[in-house]
Amino acid sequence: MSDLIIVILFAIALSGILLWLLIPKHKSSRTTPASFPSDAIGALPTAKHFAYFPQIRQALSADDSRYLMETAPSHVAKLALRERRAVARGFLKGLHEDFSNLARLGRIVAALSPEVSRAQETERLVLTLKFQVLYSLVWLRLSAGKLPLEQLEHLTGLVERLATRMDTAMAEISALSVNQIRSGLGA
Amino acid sequence: MIRSELMNSLETLILWLTVVSLMVLFGFVSARKAQRVLPLFAAYSCMLLTSAISVCFVYKVFGFRSLAAYYCYWISVLLNAGMRSVAIGELCRYKLRAYPGIWGLCWRLLTGFSILFLLHALIDTWGQPDRLAIYSLTLDRDLDIASVAILAALLLIHNYYGLSLEPLQRTIAAGIFFVCATDVISNTILRGFYTGYLFPFFAANRTSLWFALKPYFDRINDIWSVIHLICFLTSIGIWCYALRKPVPAQGEAPELLPAEVYRELSPAINMRLATFNERLVDLLRP
Repeated sequence: MSDLIIVILFAIALSGILLWLLIPKHKSSRTTPASFPSDAIGALPTAKHFAYFPQIRQALSADDSRYLMETAPSHVAKLALRERRAVARGFLKGLHEDFSNLARLGRIVAALSPEVSRAQETERLVLTLKFQVLYSLVWLRLSAGKLPLEQLEHLTGLVERLATRMDTAMAEISALSVNQIRSGLGA
Repeated sequence: MIRSELMNSLETLILWLTVVSLMVLFGFVSARKAQRVLPLFAAYSCMLLTSAISVCFVYKVFGFRSLAAYYCYWISVLLNAGMRSVAIGELCRYKLRAYPGIWGLCWRLLTGFSILFLLHALIDTWGQPDRLAIYSLTLDRDLDIASVAILAALLLIHNYYGLSLEPLQRTIAAGIFFVCATDVISNTILRGFYTGYLFPFFAANRTSLWFALKPYFDRINDIWSVIHLICFLTSIGIWCYALRKPVPAQGEAPELLPAEVYRELSPAINMRLATFNERLVDLLRP
């Protein structure tokens, strides 16, 4: 009987994968890396959330919360705090997107490289899985109101530096790639 | 004609349908010149047709319930499973070989997977009673599990690296996936009967009882065969559907980046991803 249950569960899982296999992916969301995109910065917006960081930082600041609690009526302050948590969740989602873009950049570079390191690829896979778990935990704690909003400020600084570095790195790769192709054609 | 007195009308119909469908599939493969793009899948379809015709021939000459038919059928099942594995290997190589870096990584991973599952199949088959049906059934079931796992791993790798199988290869993979998945289920149930309820009757000292049970054994086999062939017909339909349009020529090889880009950028990216995680861990600390 237990064998049969395992087989049935296996069949359900397989059917799910089969459906996933049969449904073609949307072209715009999943393009095969045939070459490093010349407009890579636009195609992989690592700095998408960067523009909003100053406002987010202001909205999440402890001073701002204190001021709100002191001056606004309690129901308004509660509503505002709830709204701020929603904003913080949105911001966390943005961080997830930034992480995904960065990880995807790593995978595209790996796919287009003539040789890759097993250790590097394994490390990136583990980091991605770890991030998914941590992200879920942070999201749950934030939703439950058990995570001080101020702590998210530390992350904003990190992403700000990261976004700047990634933009520079991608511009360098694009230039290197074009030069390599040109020199290859010239040889 | 096949000795229909020993095959019921449904079995006869499905058998003939299978042979005709395999001929149609082979016709599609030849007309679309699929052997240029997927030579091993073309060889697999050719082998399917050959083995189906051979089995029909043996049924006709020796009879549906004969020992020769029994051996011929189970040997053809094993040969087809082997050839299908080779076709899956071709699907794995088809797209990834254009990306030498990840192909260098993935072929080892997929080969490791295959060896692991093959070892599992051999261990699982070892110690089964000396009956070709149980040997073949166990080996076929385990090869199916291996095929499904390798196809799933292939899809995950494609998804992870942002690659996508072309529609023809994707649909062919879906057909193989379907036949393997349904075979795993039906083989497990049938094997359950053999190794469970019927197992004691395979022993040498129970031969007399075995003959009394033969009609039940045949009935189970018949039901299994019908289910297996219906699923197989569905897969043939999926493959024919995949080959309804002309087979597109293989795409151009991607423009690769210089090796130093990966060497320099990959550790930097990983380091920054790790920093992200460290900050998230900090957030979770009380």
